[in-house]
Amino acid sequence: MDNSMEILGLYPTWYQPALGSGWVLGIIAVVHVLASHTSVGAALVSTWLATVAVRRNRPELLEYVRRYGVFLLVFSYVLGSITGPGIWFSATVASPRGLSALIHSYVWWWATEWVFFFIEVIGIYLLVYLAGKVDGRSYLKIAWIFGLASWATMLIIVGILSFMMWPGQERWFTEGGTLNGFFGLYTFAQILSRTCFMLMAAALAGGLIAAYLRDGAFRLEMTRKLAWVGILGAVLGAVFFQWGLTTLPESAQLLMKTRLPGSFVPAMWAILAAIVVYFAALLVRPGALNVPLAAGMMVGLLIFGIWPEERARESMRKPYVAGQFVYSNQIIARDVPALGVKSELPALEARGMLALHPFIPQHLRRIGEGNELEAGHALAIVYCSNCHGLGTTGTRPFGEMFAGNRDAADIERFIKGALVTGNMVNMPRIPLRDDEAHALAQFIASLPLWHSITR
Amino acid sequence: MDIDTLYALRSSSGLPSHPAVFLVLLVLTWALHMIAVHVMLGSTALALTGAFSSNANWRRLAGPMLDTAKVAVSLAIVIGVAPLLFVQVIYDPFWYVSNVLSARWAIAFIVILLTAYWAMYHHYFVGKEGGSATSRWSLAVSLALLLVAGFIMHALTSQALRPELWMAWYAPEGHLETAGSGIHEFNLGRYLFFIVLAAPVTGAWLLGCRRYLDRREPRDAPYLDWIAALGNRLMTAGGFAALICYAGWMAALPESAAGFPVSFWSIAANASILLLIVIPALFRSASGGYGPFVTAAGVILVLATVREALRHRILFGTHGYELSTYAVNLDWYSNALFCLTFAGVGGFAIAYSVAIAWEAGKTPGIYTASPRVNRLGGFALAALIVWVAQYFFFGFLVITR
Repeated sequence: MDNSMEILGLYPTWYQPALGSGWVLGIIAVVHVLASHTSVGAALVSTWLATVAVRRNRPELLEYVRRYGVFLLVFSYVLGSITGPGIWFSATVASPRGLSALIHSYVWWWATEWVFFFIEVIGIYLLVYLAGKVDGRSYLKIAWIFGLASWATMLIIVGILSFMMWPGQERWFTEGGTLNGFFGLYTFAQILSRTCFMLMAAALAGGLIAAYLRDGAFRLEMTRKLAWVGILGAVLGAVFFQWGLTTLPESAQLLMKTRLPGSFVPAMWAILAAIVVYFAALLVRPGALNVPLAAGMMVGLLIFGIWPEERARESMRKPYVAGQFVYSNQIIARDVPALGVKSELPALEARGMLALHPFIPQHLRRIGEGNELEAGHALAIVYCSNCHGLGTTGTRPFGEMFAGNRDAADIERFIKGALVTGNMVNMPRIPLRDDEAHALAQFIASLPLWHSITR
Repeated sequence: MDIDTLYALRSSSGLPSHPAVFLVLLVLTWALHMIAVHVMLGSTALALTGAFSSNANWRRLAGPMLDTAKVAVSLAIVIGVAPLLFVQVIYDPFWYVSNVLSARWAIAFIVILLTAYWAMYHHYFVGKEGGSATSRWSLAVSLALLLVAGFIMHALTSQALRPELWMAWYAPEGHLETAGSGIHEFNLGRYLFFIVLAAPVTGAWLLGCRRYLDRREPRDAPYLDWIAALGNRLMTAGGFAALICYAGWMAALPESAAGFPVSFWSIAANASILLLIVIPALFRSASGGYGPFVTAAGVILVLATVREALRHRILFGTHGYELSTYAVNLDWYSNALFCLTFAGVGGFAIAYSVAIAWEAGKTPGIYTASPRVNRLGGFALAALIVWVAQYFFFGFLVITR
């Protein structure tokens, strides 16, 4: 064994019993997706509207762009700019090695996105504060720079997210190169579908501003314009989303079919249909638009559209969390020869997690009669707690596993048969040594006792 | 933690460039971030003082300071993304462990910052003209929360420099403590030092504002002179306060930083703080000017370098951690992508944005861009279009290979 495997580069674990650290990350990510999708879509819509306003000399349209910009500043940019780094913070504490794998390959891409983000934030201020204060030609330039920079942030993050799910080209593992990891058919499908869904979200948000307009005729005009943008965004987005699913590897499709709740696909179609019906209704009766309705649709999109979609994306890449080589429990499970990355599974199999994890207390490095439960707890924290609650709360809690069976021998048999061998399609292989499997089974079987001791 | 473990915690993916490149960018962008943070804290404090004051000048200053604070928060957050990225890249073992050990605080940072920002907007929309009783308090809440957010960042940074204590924090008495609910290490002198620096930096900012407003009509000389006097006072008094806090920071440094307070770097820090104090005299800035702010920005850059030298003293000097041994998997495309985007797209777009905002701000009525400014905008737009084109070009090249 080479020297680097004397100790593994595993971090301490943050265990969040009520929600699970993954859900904390998920909640922040979903809020960010809503804010960022709205702001990128709105940047494109604003660019289009500003162009029409300047070319046709329509000051009321310019005023709409300005007010839309103020809304974006207060809602999307505050929320988006804080929850963006918020995803980093929450990923840092929930999945440090997963984030690290992305950061260390794509740091320059992220730094490039930062340049665009900077331009975008300055752009929104200029769009708001210089409306009517600079000549039309200059205002158009500001709007187009803002719109393109905003879209460029999306182009970059989509590639990184695609890599996170599945490196674009299989040759990335052997040849490396960020381009090979970044670009695949799925990346392009994502660009198309996300751009459309962003326009849809922007049309929903734009309705909030249109609902405040006092000029009746202009309000109707804007409502209709936004309705068309929304319908096109929703329909085309759905088409491209479907295409994107066909570009995924077979294992991801299998996971989608077997691990997602049966209600997922119908629910996604239902929310899309509801949004199309909403916009179609506004086309027929634009006067029906009001603030509670528009706000309600935004919340609906967040809860019924973005949350399940993001959850599905999470599920499809299981058991990996990044680039198909870092497991959701932070263990590197595959060689990446191009980067000199080695799988940690053989070392764990040979010497055990308790011996190799740098943050295991000394007295737990060897399992004996006096420390079996505590060693089992440590193993559960390291191997399982990213995805499972170690009690009756949190995500997929142990308390609800094994059909209520608390027989340690049965649990140990399951662990050895299904997990140590890696026979669960959506779960990481858990290369426990015999004494570790025994300790983990003892811990799971004794959960009520453990909680009464440690409470 | 021994040195082998610290090295093991590094990302096995390596870095796409030499670590020194990231180190330089980390120091530069952190300095820029702190300048925005200082202006943000200082202008919020001034807006708050104005909101509670009955003095006409203070009340008048409150409005533009609130506008400044609002934009400064945005910039502080946006610029802050860059050092947050680079610190993860080269100091990942330290930053990640520290965050996990105080995970709840790392998550709370997001919520606190969000609340602070919205509280500021609440005051902006409800009480811009001096403020209603409630909106003034929302600005106070905003400032307090911004200070708490700063404290969390301070604690996370401090904890990252104590690898010898990590295990005691994570497994006190040998039992795993995975709640991430504790703040384990802080240095009040250091925290106050970086907060107090907001006074001289904002003072320098006011001197710049004085100069900018001098060119605008209608001109109100007594008010402008008052602004300059306030700026000078903030620089001098704030500089002295920073000197005291710096001494407090150095006095409370851990054993692992022994000798640093009398090192070259520490002397450089003291000298640069002294420079802040004497800037008003140096520039004879009764009528304002941009020189003091440029100098203050230079001082922050020196202090960012000193901060990095201290990190090096602890991590290399005591723990033997050599940054230069980080594995490199050079990636030419992404190196070139960033450099060209930063210089080409970013350079033109930011220069154009600043130029047009600057000129429009000085012009009464509608500003028509000069041919030079127009050309700058044209270059920015063209650079963006070229960027998008190369993105799809390389994308298609990769998938069709």
